[in-house]
Amino acid sequence: MAHDNHDDLSKHVKTYMKIGGWLIFFTFVTVGLSFVELPTHGDNLLVGMALAAFKATLVGLIFMHLNHERSLIYKVLLFTLVFVVGLFVLIYLSGQNPLHFGGFEGVTPGH
Amino acid sequence: MEIPYTRTNRPDTGLFNAKIGIWLFLASEVMLFGGLFSSYIFLRVGADYHWPVHELTLWPGFVNTIVLIVSSVTVVMAWANLKMRKIAQYKLCMWVTIICAGVFMCLKAYEYNGKFHHIGVKLTDGTILTGHFPEEGYRVKLKGGSTVTLNLQTADPAYFLKWCVTPNPQFKTEAGQPQPLDQQGALMAFIDALVPGDHDSSSLGQLRRDAAAKDQKSVKLTATAPLEFAVKESKTFSHTATSITFRDGTVVEGASVEDKMTLQVDKVDVRSSLDEDKALAWHYLGDEWKKAFEEHSKEEAESHKKFDPRDERYLRHVKQMEIHAPTVAEHNTQHGGKHSAEAHAPGEEHAAGGHAAHYPEIVIDRKDVAFWSSFTPKWNTYYAIYFTLTGLHGMHVVAGALVLFYFLVFDGRRLKEDPEHLANRVEVGGLFWHFVDLVWIFLFPLLYLL
Amino acid sequence: MSAATATLDHHGAHAHDHSHDHHELGFWRKYIFSTDHKVIGIQYGLSGMVFLLFGFFLMMVMRWTIAYPGEAMPGMMMLTHLPLVGEFFTGWVERWAPGGVVSPALYNMFGAMHGTIMVFFGIVPLGFAAFGNFVMPLQIGTVDMAFPRLNMMSFWFFFISGVIMFGSFLLPTGAVQTGWTMYSPLADTDQMGVKNVWMHGHTWWLLAMVFNISASLLGSVNFITTAINLRAKGLTWFRVPFFTWAMMVTSFLLLLAFPPLEVAALLQLADRVFDASFYLPTGLVDGGKHIDISGGGNPLLYQHLFWFLAHPEVYVLILPAFAIISDVLPCNARRPLWGHKLMIYAALTLAFLSFIVWAHHMYLTGMGTMMSTFFQITTVLISVPSVILLTCLMITLWGGSIRYNTQMLFATAFLPMFGIGGLTGLPLAFTFLDLFLHDTYYVIGHFHYVVAPGTIFALFAGVYHWYPKITGRCMNDFLGKLHFWPSLLFMNVIFGPMLYQGMIGFHRRWYDGGKYFEQVTSGHLWTNEVISFGAWGLALSQVPFILNVFISIKGGKKVTSDNPWGATTIEWAAPNIPPHGNFVTEPVAYRGPYEYSVPGAKSDFTPQFEADAGTPASQAAVAQAHH
Repeated sequence: MAHDNHDDLSKHVKTYMKIGGWLIFFTFVTVGLSFVELPTHGDNLLVGMALAAFKATLVGLIFMHLNHERSLIYKVLLFTLVFVVGLFVLIYLSGQNPLHFGGFEGVTPGH
Repeated sequence: MEIPYTRTNRPDTGLFNAKIGIWLFLASEVMLFGGLFSSYIFLRVGADYHWPVHELTLWPGFVNTIVLIVSSVTVVMAWANLKMRKIAQYKLCMWVTIICAGVFMCLKAYEYNGKFHHIGVKLTDGTILTGHFPEEGYRVKLKGGSTVTLNLQTADPAYFLKWCVTPNPQFKTEAGQPQPLDQQGALMAFIDALVPGDHDSSSLGQLRRDAAAKDQKSVKLTATAPLEFAVKESKTFSHTATSITFRDGTVVEGASVEDKMTLQVDKVDVRSSLDEDKALAWHYLGDEWKKAFEEHSKEEAESHKKFDPRDERYLRHVKQMEIHAPTVAEHNTQHGGKHSAEAHAPGEEHAAGGHAAHYPEIVIDRKDVAFWSSFTPKWNTYYAIYFTLTGLHGMHVVAGALVLFYFLVFDGRRLKEDPEHLANRVEVGGLFWHFVDLVWIFLFPLLYLL
Repeated sequence: MSAATATLDHHGAHAHDHSHDHHELGFWRKYIFSTDHKVIGIQYGLSGMVFLLFGFFLMMVMRWTIAYPGEAMPGMMMLTHLPLVGEFFTGWVERWAPGGVVSPALYNMFGAMHGTIMVFFGIVPLGFAAFGNFVMPLQIGTVDMAFPRLNMMSFWFFFISGVIMFGSFLLPTGAVQTGWTMYSPLADTDQMGVKNVWMHGHTWWLLAMVFNISASLLGSVNFITTAINLRAKGLTWFRVPFFTWAMMVTSFLLLLAFPPLEVAALLQLADRVFDASFYLPTGLVDGGKHIDISGGGNPLLYQHLFWFLAHPEVYVLILPAFAIISDVLPCNARRPLWGHKLMIYAALTLAFLSFIVWAHHMYLTGMGTMMSTFFQITTVLISVPSVILLTCLMITLWGGSIRYNTQMLFATAFLPMFGIGGLTGLPLAFTFLDLFLHDTYYVIGHFHYVVAPGTIFALFAGVYHWYPKITGRCMNDFLGKLHFWPSLLFMNVIFGPMLYQGMIGFHRRWYDGGKYFEQVTSGHLWTNEVISFGAWGLALSQVPFILNVFISIKGGKKVTSDNPWGATTIEWAAPNIPPHGNFVTEPVAYRGPYEYSVPGAKSDFTPQFEADAGTPASQAAVAQAHH
């Protein structure tokens, strides 16, 4: 890792403070935007979650050093991410049943 | 024997053991919170009631967000300073982080406490009133208590006598013998529950043995003087007009049972009312408040014209009204001009006591109440998931702070002799801490804002 | 524990010669609160076996009432006449089995606990934690686990959870009675009115599970880190034996699948203790009364969270079995493991797919046809890697000179038994057949074929195989065969008829074995008796094994070599009864893990850890290792 150099580290410390500032700024933005009534509440949710995801990415990349980590850790996280998304999406869809069987051509179910 | 790669990186993986360990652990944490967030989605999508939006008091959550961000910065700075061997700065940063954790938990406790004392009441027509109980709370009251029937298998005198208001109650058996009801010690009760067999040497134990010898399942005792009970509802199994059955099976009979709930109302919500004009709430609050509500509705409807009347956001403003004063007149003067979208949990600022001066007090017949609860997991699935998520997150905050505290205070020898190893430890502790912050970044908007 | 202790003492002097710099630890630190992966492995192993036996006892009681409902069980009243503990049992038997007749509540209790104990306290601790802990660090040639203290904590969390689980039988409410799956709303509302929810069997079950899950998480983090970062010099990824690979994949399954179960358990705890409604729909009525809850929750949420774990859990149960077989089979067939790489990829694919098949347990929940189809497809897909694994093992036998010792008998029997289990699962993958077979004995027969004569046979094979490394002595081969043949017979007597019963329509949770549902079962009830006698016969055939394990510690044939089976993997480079720190000299891997019967080699096996090999191929391997 590049952190063995002290000058480098002091530079990093400044970055950390700057990122902290940005995070606080985006917190204000998130709160403000939640009071703006977008066309649907779903849009508000989308914007709010996008901002949160952006903030989380900043924390992950800068504070948790994921911007320069070993490939092994990326692999582990990638799989975890895939499974979490699977958990979200599949559970959500199983409650929605997004597709319906429309019957064979010319035959309407129930007749 | 020494485990390799605790300080240095293994050349081919480029990592030390604890670094791999913490990331694996965080991966499982991602799945843990992933499971909870997907429960949140599932519950919210499937909710058959009006999912609360902007209902929590905003400022504690907001301050906590800032506090966690600050602590995230300081913990990574602590690591960098330790790497550079700036020990004083390292220690300062660590202390700031731990103090931030403390502030976070204090605010959390403040928020929780408010919710424990805030009550929601759903009337049988679907109208929801929220507010506070007077200091003594809501109690089922029994007057002129005369006989007590103990189920000998399950009876626990301390359980029901706790709710007897009359000081020093005395009992006698049907044969007229005085019968004290002392209880076996808590420890013995625990052993009794775990280990079959009779270890009970208290008077109740004796009573139980006597009855068992006569093949009796229960025993009836008479009070020497009329007793008064005021019982928490959750401790009762059921009650009739003249008797209360406790959860331990004990039945107390008396002259009359009164079941009324006094509530200091701070909000009326008619979104789920069968007929909002004839809502039960107006029966209790009176026509003046009804009129105030209608005016409020009209005003809000005007300013939310752009919404479909079925839109949740329209309903949230138009079909709910917060109450800020004991009378309509005061309410209008205090709150006349204020009808912004900003909502805050009413009454949470003053956690307990002294509400009577702020809100109208009504007495509700229990039969008109379909369901009531404090704002705990019982109230609805939103509060259930709120407490589960924030509670679990809070535990992570405490655990992370304890670990950092340990590194700071009890790892002094390593700091002197092997600071590189300590830096690794702080880095790993810090990674956990960032994860805790990261979870909150999602929790705050999901629970407080959206 | 005491048994293992005895031999370790016996060989203390021998062990001490090999130790480098460690000082003598006291008894408590050495055998009880040990951080040594081998001691922890043995602790896990012994407690796992005790739990397996206990879970089996529960089932034998259940089999009695299934075969002879309403009749007093022989021996039940005997419990009350036992010296010392008799009085203790009197009240308990009177409550749960009055007059020796197993009550429905007791049947439900034992049913729920049989599943829980076998899965979470028997097979996983034995297959994954015990074999993984003992063998894996030795096999990758390292001194210990990456985090020895976490390893110790893992065992003690497991121990606490076991104590809580056992303890719940003695509570006034009894242990949990709502099936090992704990489906809500029944599991949420069962005995909801008790005075003290904290003293309820269900609460204790949930708390025990939280400890159990924490133990698994600590274990899996440790396993993966160890396998990644502490491999011996020269042990590149594809020189790592399949055993360690399988253990690593299992760890990943535990690591990522268990947290959602923890969520499921926490939410259920909230429902029971804090009156939440996570899994309770609006308007739920119980006993003619509206339950005092807010409602608004959904019972399906529980099933999703539960099966998100519980399906990968199936592979947690069978991958360690494949791991063990993949070591035992090549060693005793004197053939290299066929398709080592292929098996690794198959195991990884299996693990990946196992996360997206869970809802095939939920076809009957009205999930919607599209989602059912999705899960049907993934479920059928997952049979591909399973078949690859099994096929590779079978091909390994081809052209081998097979040595039929006890472990090899168990290992070869594993193949067809697991095969039956797997193939009978296929019909269940299809929604239209599952509608018919769901919740019948067919399902029970299917998954027991996978886990009982499948996984448990593999575990037996592992015990016989590594016993010399653990104790320095061999287990008795005659007793071993006396163990194997009746076990094989009775396993099939038990689980074969279940498939048949299921197709008739026997429901899996009938406590009277179906006597009440005569229109379905008449003329077939005799099969219940056959199965029950099979179960009791299986119990008898475990006696030689138990004797063998304990007698052989002192009386078994002493092994003269550190590598008695002529195996090739690194654990056989360690001295028998490896000391704390494991190896005399740091082992180096010079070649792949399965060099059996290499043409031109000086013997029919060339261990990974030996530098000098006769063939040019292995010389090249040596060069590569040093490179």
